[in-house]
Amino acid sequence: MFDSFFFSYQSLIFAVGINGLLALSMYTVLAVGQLSLGQAAFMGIGAYVSTLLTLDAHWPFAAVLLAAMVVPALAALLIGGPTLKLTGVYLALATIALGEILRIFCNASDLTGGALGLSGIPNKTSFGLIFAVLALALAGFVMVARSRLGRAMEAMREDEVAAGVMGVNLPVMKLGALVVSAMLAGLAGALNAHANSFIGPNDYGFDQAVTILSFALLGGIGSPFGPVLGAVILTVLPELLTALHDFKLVVNGFIIVIAVLFMPRGLLIWRIGRVG
Amino acid sequence: MNKRTLATLALLPIATAAAIWTAPAKAEDVTIGAIEILTGPNSRYGVAIKNGFDLALDEVNKTGVLGGKKLVIQYEDTAGNKDQAVNAARKLIGIGKVPLLLGPTLSNEMFAAGPVANEQKIPIVGTSTTAAGITAIGPYVFRTSLPEGDVIPVTLKAAQTKFGIKKVAVMYANDDAFSKSGYDVFKASLEKLGIQTLTTETFGSKDSDFSAQLTKIKSLNPDAIVVSALVEPASGILLDARSIGLDEKIRFIGGNGFNSPKLGDIAGEAADGTLVGSPWFIAKADAMNTKFVADYRAKYKDDPDQFSAQAYDTLHIVALAIDKAGAAEPEKIKAALQTTKYTGVMGPFSFTDNRDPADSSGVVVLEMKGGKFQILK
Repeated sequence: MFDSFFFSYQSLIFAVGINGLLALSMYTVLAVGQLSLGQAAFMGIGAYVSTLLTLDAHWPFAAVLLAAMVVPALAALLIGGPTLKLTGVYLALATIALGEILRIFCNASDLTGGALGLSGIPNKTSFGLIFAVLALALAGFVMVARSRLGRAMEAMREDEVAAGVMGVNLPVMKLGALVVSAMLAGLAGALNAHANSFIGPNDYGFDQAVTILSFALLGGIGSPFGPVLGAVILTVLPELLTALHDFKLVVNGFIIVIAVLFMPRGLLIWRIGRVG
Repeated sequence: MNKRTLATLALLPIATAAAIWTAPAKAEDVTIGAIEILTGPNSRYGVAIKNGFDLALDEVNKTGVLGGKKLVIQYEDTAGNKDQAVNAARKLIGIGKVPLLLGPTLSNEMFAAGPVANEQKIPIVGTSTTAAGITAIGPYVFRTSLPEGDVIPVTLKAAQTKFGIKKVAVMYANDDAFSKSGYDVFKASLEKLGIQTLTTETFGSKDSDFSAQLTKIKSLNPDAIVVSALVEPASGILLDARSIGLDEKIRFIGGNGFNSPKLGDIAGEAADGTLVGSPWFIAKADAMNTKFVADYRAKYKDDPDQFSAQAYDTLHIVALAIDKAGAAEPEKIKAALQTTKYTGVMGPFSFTDNRDPADSSGVVVLEMKGGKFQILK
């Protein structure tokens, strides 16, 4: 019974973990007060890099995962310089463009299989791996939140100018957050590609960027647990509602509207206690 | 909103989930699974397929399968999302314990869900998946839809012999898997038939202005323009071609995306002369097809399309295979499918060793006249 349950819902359970990682990636930039919509693009870079390394270069899975973190991180460093001078919606717009560039490139390039995407990816992701990575990431964030760094991040989020005056190194913090978020998104992309058999350019477009943002906003960004909770709910809810058929999307949307109306700061509003 | 209402709202999904778990299936029935797009923007494909299945199911259940057992189809919706297609396949195999899967609707979904079924050794039969490489997923993946590789050469051959087409311009949407896959087939068959390609122009599947590409093509003076695109951009191309004053003698030759009554509805007279190949046509005059069309109209008050026709034939093929297998067991059904022969509304049918349709003699080439398709004579 348990086996058949796990088999039937395996991809859903995997998606919960992977979306949790993506939500944390979003949280990393939101936590320093930046609105970046490039998470889906970083996820896509991680997915394509890892898939090509597995299919064409036959690298071992551990090395593939490492590369899926390093390449998006390099991309983040490259684009971070010019784009982080932008704030608010302008940064959001610039990072949307990043996603579009990736989509157009993947459609045009033969290396990435064009619009047909890449299929026949071996399934190497396991339940233990996804949730170990998620647990590690969560533990890391909790430790950061309790430290000097975490307080600097919170100060930036509440008032960037004041934080800068207090001696927080704004450019380094912003770039650091973007790089860490790109690594998490890339890793999630690689795990996802190796959990499904197929990836295509349209998996990492604007829709996906907004979905990732909504995980964080629904859960709340007071603590790293909020975005993960948001991801769990938004991933599981459509599946629970399948019996409603055509009304599924309506009820799904309705529940989200209710949550946002009555809990505008997110579902989880408590913060991590501090030490030291 | 008080606490109780909130709690009720929270219970709603749990209750519906419980309803799925306890959905009764009688032990003596033979239940097979079907994964289709039943909601969302692409649901018209999935619903047409479901209608085709259900119509054939009524006929099959007049006698039943395996000596009078009732055949039942358990549907799962994907909303056009490949992750949900995988969820659906896993649910049907893991909880439904079905010995056979039908669908999914799109080739993309098959690339995601096919490997799951194949790994679990459950045969999966696509009725509308035309892209290259579908059956290469594994030995348990079948399809009854003619791949574009079988339809497009017939269309081009007809254009070459009837209209003496020697040089063409090619256009395709490069951001859509369906269009790109069709383009690959066009390219290969053009080379094989020795038709010269003057230029290859690309566009996005959501574009609405094609005058730049068409102006360039006009200056090259081709005999025909070959297009691989979904029906919306295809109609836009036909309309733009007339508005830039492209010679009306230059015919358009389309892939399967053109094979929709919507083309005539949107493009009107601009579509006249367009050629397209189809595995099925509503006005095919044989007795089986006229009965199918009449029954379909009576049951659904709507015209069937190629997707319903393919689904209708597929369910008959599958029911025959289950009967032949002698038991509702995946391994036996797989073996039986391999040797099943059937003549349906699309013509004679059997599987090749690679689990693709063996016979493309049912393909008809259609020509658009006055906004309606007719069989090319």
